[in-house]
Order: sequence, then structure tokens, then C-alpha cells
Amino acid sequence: MPFHSATVNMAALLRSARLLKFSPSGLLHITGLKRTGPSVGRLYSGVVGGNKSGVCSRQISRASENASSRQWPYTVGFVRNYATAEEQKNDVGLVIRTKQMQKFDWALTKLDSSVRRTGRITKTLLNRIFHDICRTGYPSGNHALLLLRSCGSLLPEIPLQERNDFAHRIWEKLQEMGAQYDVSHYNALLKVYLQNDFKFSPTDFLAKMEEAHIQPNRVTYQRLIAAYCQDGNIEGASTILGFMKSKDLPITDAVFNSLVTGHARAGDIESAKNILPVMKGAGIEPGPDTYIALMNAYAEKGDMESLKLTMKEAETAECSLMDRDIMQVIFTLAKAGQEQHIQEMTEHLRHERGYVPDAMNLCLSLITQGLEDTAFQMLKTFPSLQSESANMGNFFLRHCVSMDTSLEKLSQFCKELQELQLHSSPLSFTLSCALEANKPEMSFELMKEMKEQDFPIRPHYFWPLLTWHLKNNDQDGVIEVLKNMQKLGVPPDVESLTTYILPVFPDMEAAEQALKESGVSTDSAGYLSSQVRFMTGNLEELYTKLSDPSFPPLDLNNFRSKLSVSFRKFDDFETMMKITKLLYTDKRFSLGNPPAENVGYFLYNLIDSMSEKEVQAQEGNLRMFFNELRAQNMLIPSRICRGIKNLLDPNDSPQLIKEVVYACSSLCFTPRCFHQGKLQILEKKIAELQAENKPLGSVFKQVIQALCVTENLQRALELKQQYESEMTVPMYVNLINMCCRLGNLEEAVNLRTELYRMDSSVVMDVPKYISLVKILSEHGRVEEAIGILKEMKEKDVAIGDTYSNMFFHVLNSLAVKGDVSTLHQLTGAVFTLGLAKPSNNLCSPLVSTHLERDDLTKALEAAIDCGKTYKVVPRIHEIIVGLVQRGDTEQLQKAMDFLSEERGEMTMLYNLCFAFLESGRYREARKIIETPGMRSRPGRLYWFAKRCVQLNQMETLEQMVDITAKLFECDRDEMYSHALLLCKERNDWKRAEAFWTKMQEESFIPRERTLLLLAEILRNNGKEVPFEVPEIWYQQDEITQADTTEQVEEQATETETETETKPPKPPKPTLHESQLIGQCKRGRAKEAFQKLKDAEDKSPAGPVFYDQLIRALLSEGSLEEAMEAKDIAQTHLPNFYLGDMANTLLIVTLSKKGRLEEALKQLRTMLQFDQVPRQLAITRLVQAMGDEGDVAGIQEVESLMQKLGTSLNMSKMVFTNNKALAYIRNGDVDLALEELEGVLTNPEFKNTRISFVYKKVMEENNDKAMDKLAAMAERLANHFALYQPATDLFLQLVDFGKIEDAKFMLARCNAIAEQKDAFFGYLIRTTEVPGQLEKLKNLLSLVPDCLEKERVNTFLMKCHSMDKDFPAAKALYEQMLEEGVTVNELSLKRLAMLYRSAGEPVPFTEPPESFRFYANKLKEEGTKGQETPEE
Amino acid sequence: MASSTKKVFEVFVAKIPWTVAAKEMREYFGQFGQVKRCLIPFDKDTGFHKGYCWVGFSTEDGLNNALQKDPHILEGTKLQVQMNRRAFTDMKANKESELD
Repeated sequence: MPFHSATVNMAALLRSARLLKFSPSGLLHITGLKRTGPSVGRLYSGVVGGNKSGVCSRQISRASENASSRQWPYTVGFVRNYATAEEQKNDVGLVIRTKQMQKFDWALTKLDSSVRRTGRITKTLLNRIFHDICRTGYPSGNHALLLLRSCGSLLPEIPLQERNDFAHRIWEKLQEMGAQYDVSHYNALLKVYLQNDFKFSPTDFLAKMEEAHIQPNRVTYQRLIAAYCQDGNIEGASTILGFMKSKDLPITDAVFNSLVTGHARAGDIESAKNILPVMKGAGIEPGPDTYIALMNAYAEKGDMESLKLTMKEAETAECSLMDRDIMQVIFTLAKAGQEQHIQEMTEHLRHERGYVPDAMNLCLSLITQGLEDTAFQMLKTFPSLQSESANMGNFFLRHCVSMDTSLEKLSQFCKELQELQLHSSPLSFTLSCALEANKPEMSFELMKEMKEQDFPIRPHYFWPLLTWHLKNNDQDGVIEVLKNMQKLGVPPDVESLTTYILPVFPDMEAAEQALKESGVSTDSAGYLSSQVRFMTGNLEELYTKLSDPSFPPLDLNNFRSKLSVSFRKFDDFETMMKITKLLYTDKRFSLGNPPAENVGYFLYNLIDSMSEKEVQAQEGNLRMFFNELRAQNMLIPSRICRGIKNLLDPNDSPQLIKEVVYACSSLCFTPRCFHQGKLQILEKKIAELQAENKPLGSVFKQVIQALCVTENLQRALELKQQYESEMTVPMYVNLINMCCRLGNLEEAVNLRTELYRMDSSVVMDVPKYISLVKILSEHGRVEEAIGILKEMKEKDVAIGDTYSNMFFHVLNSLAVKGDVSTLHQLTGAVFTLGLAKPSNNLCSPLVSTHLERDDLTKALEAAIDCGKTYKVVPRIHEIIVGLVQRGDTEQLQKAMDFLSEERGEMTMLYNLCFAFLESGRYREARKIIETPGMRSRPGRLYWFAKRCVQLNQMETLEQMVDITAKLFECDRDEMYSHALLLCKERNDWKRAEAFWTKMQEESFIPRERTLLLLAEILRNNGKEVPFEVPEIWYQQDEITQADTTEQVEEQATETETETETKPPKPPKPTLHESQLIGQCKRGRAKEAFQKLKDAEDKSPAGPVFYDQLIRALLSEGSLEEAMEAKDIAQTHLPNFYLGDMANTLLIVTLSKKGRLEEALKQLRTMLQFDQVPRQLAITRLVQAMGDEGDVAGIQEVESLMQKLGTSLNMSKMVFTNNKALAYIRNGDVDLALEELEGVLTNPEFKNTRISFVYKKVMEENNDKAMDKLAAMAERLANHFALYQPATDLFLQLVDFGKIEDAKFMLARCNAIAEQKDAFFGYLIRTTEVPGQLEKLKNLLSLVPDCLEKERVNTFLMKCHSMDKDFPAAKALYEQMLEEGVTVNELSLKRLAMLYRSAGEPVPFTEPPESFRFYANKLKEEGTKGQETPEE
Repeated sequence: MASSTKKVFEVFVAKIPWTVAAKEMREYFGQFGQVKRCLIPFDKDTGFHKGYCWVGFSTEDGLNNALQKDPHILEGTKLQVQMNRRAFTDMKANKESELD
């Protein structure tokens, strides 16, 4: 019933429009708008027809009328369309008309919101709406009116003539399409003429109206008079006035205002001035517009004295002039060339609310009319922006660019903006505008200017221009850009060439020709790689090119990514193989690495660039490819092969993996021989280049690199000497690194000095620094090594965790060498400089150096030192073990004293115990554990247990388990599970069984995991498991799982009972099956699945097992296995089908993996079988679709669900919100708003909440969408008195901690502060979890008086109790007592609980009933309290 | 594919000034650690980049260093730097634009 819904919609709009009058904030807003300006009044000023007319109604008293004028066009549209609809019920047009009606609302909203926010409309927006309306067909009169009205001063960015042309185009086009025009349209056109200073003949206009049989009305005449007056044609105006009088039409103030202008323009300023007394004589008080007209008249003459006098008069007549009025005068002054007076006028500006949009429009109009200097003067009156980073004047610069303001002026504006610190980068912003507007000349000039000012010019600055030419296939345009790039000294980089330049040319030859013509070097490696990259589109051509012997060396690196793009299509298998072979055999393409490695990386890159879907789709091809590679003996290093294996998730394509693994080999190349060959080529090339006197460029770099790899220092240094000027920072760094590697300290130091002479600010990466430190310290040059460390500190290079290991090795090698003093100095320097934090690892060399030499005394000393200085005691265990073994009681005593002093007696005892254990002196160890007062230190115990497992010390571990049997609080299960772990490592089932017996001896209840471990060891050795897996385990397991795992699994648990009671009743599970089910439930579904697959006889597995298995597989995300399991089930059990739950999980899993089509298909199937999906499945699917931007999908799901009925109890908002998000994801924010607004303004839908949308958009930091959403929420609140969206947004902002934004929101939409219930609801929800006090406090600070004190206190108490913050709760209680506020029972109850858990006596009588009881009681009281005032 | 198994330490950077491209991003973020990759998508329609990019560090340290710094100012503009939450898979399609 589209018609019905349309009327409902209309009614909604009407109702809300009416509501406006009664809502105080709405009224306030209207008033505000009227004062500040444009809004709907501008659009609809004339519609009122018979009403009071006026160019723009302005008095506040007319606010209500204006409200009705807003209402009016709706009514007209409604009535008009209603009538036609009734008549043509069977007409197809009906549907379109209804659509058009909705469209009208939409177009109106769009224009309206633009006008409201900015006071203007952009050309693009108007054009879009125009085209939309044309496309849909059947334009109504209202559409025409709407569009026509928009063609005047609402388009300040468009030159007057163009505006008028646009109006005419709309007029003709819509008429052609059948729009019916009435007098309102002619009046609208007249207004547009007036606003656009359009010269036309009023008599002709009247004639035209007559021809169309349209009777002119008062407004028509008034505007015609205005038109004559604009021209200074008093005679013409008088004629029309005569018409009016003859028709007995009232002469309004608007006519007099026009006459003021008319006389003035006719050069008779005295008569103009005299209009005022005439008006008064006629009983009409001159209004602000009258004074403005007179002021404008003086302004045109430059008569400031009279102008100011008139202003005073206006003031005395209590016609207060607003900023907009003053701006009009400024505009007149500028147009009349009276710029010298403008400054004076600007001083009268009061910066009222809405100043900025008005002033912006003035600026834009001024620029449009070529008065940019005045515009700039206005710009400087703008209030400064609050946030520092924001730039002012962007709109100004942009419009100057689009109006082709001269470069001279532009750069002057930029300079001034920067000097005034209004804009941080005006030039580059202006450039971006010029590029955006595709103004090559201006862009180049701007770049030149920037270059002169020492701003960098980068290759990508030219991309927008190139993109433009590329789109138009404009070779000359591209060449022009290229030439300018050369001029500006920015040679095109590889990316520019590949993506933006080469594609415009039909072939490489043409491209080369053009480049040469533009002066771009085509010899560079950059060009070469772009060329090859470009050619990757055609593999055959590429092969021809590459295999040509004249083709110069070019590393595969340069075109790897592009090549894999072509490769992954697998279009031309044969050529692919040929190319791969070429890459593999021809050293020209492997300058850096051995070819096998290079090709390996390429394959890695290829697989990496393929999506999961692609890999699956190309599985066959991939396998063939790899097989072929192997057949042709193209093997790749195992390391890379491993990488590729990791890429291919083994879950998805196990078969493929085997192929890849097979294609691998562990080839080991000695780098030397490979680079040798390459070097010769390169050196030859250098000689050639030098002979030709050409720059060496990257060839030299490659030579140095190659020499570094082959470690040919001698030659590298020679070349360096020879080509000193070609040396760059990275080359130096490479050389230094090689020297360090080769241990050539002198050269390293020399090179470093040279490097620093070149650029002392160079920051090398950490490993390079560390190798320098290493070599220096190895040569005993500690001071210099420390110097390097200091430099790292100065240059902010932190060692961090990753490199601390490298550093450890430096220290450790010193330790091994026994250079204790250097070691100490370096370690100390690292820590004092703060390059790394002292850790056990980094400190250990200090001790190791002595352990290395078996000097336990010194080692202990060092350890003790470390403990005192750095609070770590490295390798103390080894020291003590050594001392115990050696029987050095004296030193042992010293160690024990130190430990018990520093770390406590218990630690010392544990250390000693472990040392005894490790030394095999178990009796002593046991004695220590049995020391009275000894208790379990889990951390220490597990550390030692793990150490035993790692070091494979079975006996020690067994002893440890043994002696700790009686240890206080020792977790026996932990101990045994470590022991069993080691058994498993050693595959020692006998000992495992022995442990099992011991466990029974100790008679504790082992955890499931321990038993599973044991069972596994036994089973692996073909032994029977001597215990049954009791049913209880599964259930326990599930209970623990339900708490921790995802929602999905929670659901699974919930439905457990349901599935079990449901028919068909399964046969009693056999042992085999129950075991498998057990495995499924223990999260080892894959294992169970494997067993199922391996078993030849699958008959014991029944439907319950399959269902469980599939569910378990899905829960862990193993989609493929689940599908396979389903297939097996269907083969063995013909009647098998997935249950609701399994299906739900399947949909959820598919949705999560982004396989939406399949998920949707599954949903359809489910519904076909009359199964009911869980809400979760629908929600996840719809959310995934929202994430993907799949609007159509969501629509389908929605309609499927509608057919199902409302049994799912799903909110419509799930669909609406996600549709909106989908639109936003697609970049169509406006459609999203349309979607949301449609639902929000529909009175049929209750509880429409869009918080989810806000949350998602905020999470994604999509500011653009957020702004629009905020504008919508604001509009709905101020316009339709719908406060929920604004309130939800406000709360969401609070929730995100964006307090400033929330404050701003509140300021713009005061009514939010009254949404008590919403706040209440929010607080109830939010305070359900701990840590929300901040949010509560934030909210209260924003709306301090909104909630009653008692409620606030209740929430505060709730927060404290959630946070278990006893002191805060107590303080609150005391404060409440002090203030004499009643503390309700719920709060008392909460407080009492805190008292109890703190172990303090409760100082009041605790309320006897339950929490829920008091909560409900409070709720009831709350609702009663609310109802009373209304009754 | 299967990017979840790969260890990448990525930040998502938004509000990048238009004057900056991959090279400059790499240079800037290089101060926090070695930059392994930098993906800055350009709009093929306009020739401008889209104002955001992904920077991948070789090490977690690089990532942490970058996240700890605030504010990030590049060419006078405040960058918005956050941990990358979206998987890289979506961006595979325009991976070729990566400048490596």
C-alpha cells in the first residue's frame, strides 16, 4: 500500500509541523532562525500568496505565521496529489506520483538542511536534485517552485548570469515535462530576476503571463515595481503602481522600499529620502528594509555622513539593524567601488548568532563578483576558531580558485593568512583546490610559488591533473604536465609513470617518444621499472620484452606486485611458466638476491595478494603451477616456502599445502657466487656510464650493495674513493655495517666520521648502532662505544625489547671474552642512559662472565651487585647449584643471607631447595620443603617444573612432585600435569601410568585437562585408558565454558536441554559415540572429526553426534570441516538435517567470515524447512551486511523475516540501523539519513533507537557521517520535536567520553536536558558493570539538575558497590546523612554488602529483603512519582 | 589471505594532509621503528589520496612507540593515529598501489 504509507508520512510531517508551535524549544528555534536569517523563510517567503507578502518577513511577531507558511506547501502538495490520486487509482502514474511526493520531501529536506546550516545551496546539490526530479518524471508544481526559488541569492558561488540561465533551464525543462505553472511560479521567477540583477522587460513578462492565462497578483506587481526601481525607472514603477491602484490592491511597505531605491537610482536622493514621511503619512511605519534601502542608496554614492545619519534614525525608530543588514550595505559599498568606507561599516557588525554563515555568503558573493579584496577584508572579521589546528579561510581560497582570481592576489591572501596565523598552510591548500578544479595553469603557477618559498613539490601533486587527462585520454595534457614537472624539477617517480602517465599512451613507443619530448629521462631504472610494471597487463608482451637480450638488468623487486596482480588471474598459464622460468634463470632480474630467493619472494607475494576466496577458486591452477615449478626444477628456499605455507591456512586447503611443501626444498646458496656474476655486469655498466660521462645513479648504489653482500670491502672502498661524490647516506650506512661485520674497526670509524661530516643528523637503525657498539667494545674502545650509546640517546633511538636481545649478545660476547671492565661500563651506560630497562637477561652477562670461568665467588658477588643496583638477581640458581655441588658453605651462606635479606626467607629457601633438587640431593631438598611455615609459592614451583620439562630432567621433576606432596596449599594437579607433560614429551607411558597411580594414592580430584593428557599418552601408545570419562566432566566443562566463551556458545549451552528433549529421540549413545561427543564438547572437535573420517565403520555415529560435531566445529570457526561433516552425515544418514542451532551457528559463522551470499542462502533454506533461526543469526548476518555495505541483502533478510511473522521479537531497528550503516559504508551518508529519518519520523514505530549507528560511526571515526547524523538529530529535535535521536547521540558522546562534543550538542539542542527517562535508562544500563563512575559523573556534570538527588545517589552507590570501592561508598553515605537526604533501602543494602566484604560491622540495620525486592520497589515509586503531577 | 596468522603491527592513520604521500609517511613513522609497509590508498577518480593510510611496523615496539606519541604533527597537521582494527584482507584489492 504505497499510497497509504505516503499519506501517513505526510500526516506525520504535518503533525510535527503543527507541534512546533506548541513546543517551547521549537518556537524558540523558529524565532532564532528568523533573527539569524535564511532558513525556510527564504525558500518560502512568497508562497503565502495572499498573506502579508514582504520580501522577507522579519518581525518576530510573525513567527507563527511563518510556521504555517512552512506547513503550507505540504498542504498544497498533499491536497493536490491526493485529488489526482483519487481520480487515477488504476494509473501506473499513481505509483510514481507517490514516489515523487516522497521525493519532494526528500529534496525539500536536503535543500532545507543546506539552507539552514549554511544559508546557501551548492550548485552540485541543486543540479543533483534537478536531475533526480527529471529522471523520476512527473514533476509537480511544487518541485518546480522549489527549484526555481533556489536559483537566486541562495547560490552565492555562482555568477549572476549563470544563476539566471539555470532558472530558465529549469523553467523550460519542467514545463516540457508537464509541470503546471501558476502565479506562484511566475512570482518566484521574478524574485530570482531581482536577486540576480537580471535585466528584463516587465511589460513583456506581463504579456507572457497573460498568454499563459495567469492572472498577476499583488506580489507580481510589487516585484515588477522593484524591477523597474532597480533600474531607476520611476516611470515604469508608477505605471505598475497605477495598475495596482486600479485593481484596488493595497500598497505595502515593500512597494515603498522599492521606491526608495528607485528614486535613488534615478539620481534623486531627496525624493528617496522623502519616501519615509510619505509612508508615515499613509499609515505605514518605515521598517528596517526601508532604512536599508536608503542606506544602500547613500552607500552607492559614497555619502557616509548621510548613511550614518540614517542608521541613527533607524535606531531611534527602534528598527534595529542586524548584521545581515550591515552586510548588505557593505556589499553595496563594494559593488559601487566605495571600498574606502567598508572598514568603518565592519565596525558596526555585532557578530550576532549566525554571523559566520552570513558573512561567508557575503564573502562568496563578493568573490563571485570579482570583489575579492573586500571579501578578504570580511574574512578577517571572522571570529577566531577555537581549535588550534583548524584553518580559517578554506572556503575563501577555494572559491577564489574556482573564480580564477589572479595568482598575484591569491598569493597575497595566502601570505597574509599565514602571517596572521589564521591558516597553517594556505598555499598548499590553494593548490589542492586548483588541482581539484583541474586548473593546470594555476596549479603550476602555485607550485612555482611554493617552490620559491622552499616548500617541497612532490610527484603526487601532479596526479590529480594527470588523472583528469587520463580520464579524457588526453595525451597532450599529460605531456604538458610532464613538461611542467620537469620545469619544477620533479621528475616523475615510478608510481606516477606506471599509474598516471604511461596508461594514456597507446603503446610503449609513443610513451617513450612523449617522455623524451618532455625532457624526461627514459634511461633511468625508474622508467624501466614503470615500463615493465605497465606491461604486466599483457604477459605475452612482457615476456617478449623481458626475454629480449638487450633488455637491461632490472630487479624483480621493481615489478613484483604488479606482476602478481596479473599472475593471480591465471589466464595464460603457459606464459606464466615462461616468465617464471626466465626470472628464475636470468640473473638480470635478480640483482639483490639469488634468483631462487627472488622467485620465492615473488610466489610469497602472489599468494599473499590473493584473498581466501581467490585461493580457493584457483586451487587447481595453483597446484598445477607449483607442480610445474617442481617439474622444471625451480626450487625455492625452504624459509620462504615455510612463509607460503603459513599464508595458506592449512584448514582451508590441506591438499594444496602438500603440493607447496613438495615444491619446496632446502636449497642453500652461497651468496658469493651469485653476486659475483652480477657484480661484473654492474661494474661494466659503471665503466660505460663513466665513459659516456653520465651520472651513475642507482647502478652505483647497486654495486655498493652487491659488494656489501659479497663482503668485498676492499673493492667497495676503492669505488668509494673513486666516486666520492656519488656516495649517499644509505651507502655509508651499508658500508659501515659491512666493516663492523668484518671486524674492520678502523674503516668503520673512518666511514662514520665521513658520514657525519656529510650529515650529522643521520639516524641509523638500532642493529647498525649495536654492531658499531659491538665492534668498538670488542676492540676495547669503551669510550667510543659509550659515545655511540649516547648518540642513540640523543637521537631518541631506544633499544626496546626486540633489540635488547641483540644487545644481550654484545654484552655476552664480552662476558665470554672476560672483558669485565668493558662489560660493566657498557651495561651501566645502557641503563643510565635509559636505552633499555634492567632485566634479568641484560644483566646476566655480568654474572655469566664469572660462571664461564667457574669463579663462583665472583659470580655471586656480581649477582649481589646486580641485585643491589638493578633489583634483578641473574643466574642465581646456577650459582647456588654450583656452590651446593662444590660444597662451598661459606659462599652459600653469603648467598642465602643476601637472598633472605633482599627477597625474604621463603624465596631463599625455595632457591636452596631447587639447587638441592638439581644437584640430586633430594633428602636435603625434602627437608627444606618440610620446614615449618613453608607454603606453596606457585610461581616458583611452576618455574622449576617448567625448567625440568625443558631440560628433560625427569628424575628431578618426579622428586619435586614427590617432596611437595604435603606442602601447604600446593596445587597437586598442577604438579602432576607438569610431570605428565614431560611424560608426553618423552612418550613415557609407563611413568605416566605410575603417576596416575600416585594421583590415586594422593586421592585428589585431577582436573579434566590432566586426565585428558594422561589418556592421550596412553592412547598414543596403544594402551587402554584405565579410567572412564565420567559424564560429569562434560557438564562441568560446559559450565565453565559458558562463562568465558562467546555469545554463540552461550546460546549453544542454553539450547542444550531443548535439543535433548526434542524428537527424534536418539538411541542410547554407544561408547564410541559418547567419547566423540565428549571430545566435541571439550573443544577438540577437529580431533573427533578426524576420528570420524578415519573410521571405516561410521555407523555408531548418530544424528546427535553429527549435530554436536558440526556445532562444535562451527563454534571454533572451522567452517570447512563443518561443511564436510555435514556431507558425511548426509551420506550416512539420509534423513539428516541441521538443527535450528547448528543452522544458526552456520549462518553466524558464514556471516563472520564475510560469506554473506552463502549465509543468506542458508537462511532461505532454513525458512523453507520451516525452521526458525535464532535472533542472533539474523542480527549477525544483518550486521555483517551492514559492514559490507550490502543494502539489498539487508532488505531481503528483512522481507524474509516479515514473512516469518514477528515471532523472533526482533526490533525493526536492526534492519534500519544496519541499512543506514551500509549506506554510510558505501559513502552514501545522505541515503543513510533518509533511511533513518523515514523510520524516526514515522509515528507507527515506537522505540526507534539509533544508538547503534552512532556507536559504529564513532568507532570508525567517520567524522563526516557523524556530522551529518548530528545535524539530523538536531533537526529532528528542533523541527519535529523528536528528542530521542538527539538524546541518544548525546548519551553516546558521553559514553565515548567526548564531553566537549556532548556539551556542544546540549547547547544546540536544549531539550536534551529534559529527557530524564532516557538518562535514567542509560544509567541503569551503564552501571551494570564496574568502572562506570566516570561516565556517571560526566553525565551529571552536563545535566546537573536533571535527575533527583535521591536517584543520583542511588546510582552513585551502585557504582561504588560495583567498583567495590568501600571508602567512596562510605563517604557518600556520610555525606547523605550530613545533608539529611534519605538513604533508600537499595543503597543501604548495597552499602551493607560492602561493609560485610570489608569485614567491618554494619553500623545500621540491614534491610531484610532481597536486592530485587528493593529495586522493584524503587521502580514502582518512580513511576508513581511521575504519574502524579500529570494527574 | 589468512592475514590473521601473520604478525603485523599496524597503525591506522587518518586526517593525513594531502601534501603527504607514502614516502613522507614512511619517513615520519620511521622514527618510531622500522616501517615494513605503508599503504596509502589514492582515489583513482580524483588523483588525491583518501586521507588515511595504514603503516605497518616490523616490530611491536615500533607500533607501541607510534601509539604512545601524541600528538602526531606532520606538516603542521595533526594526524590521527590508532591501532589498526580492521583486517588487511579488505585492502588486498588495491594492494598494487603499495610502493615498496
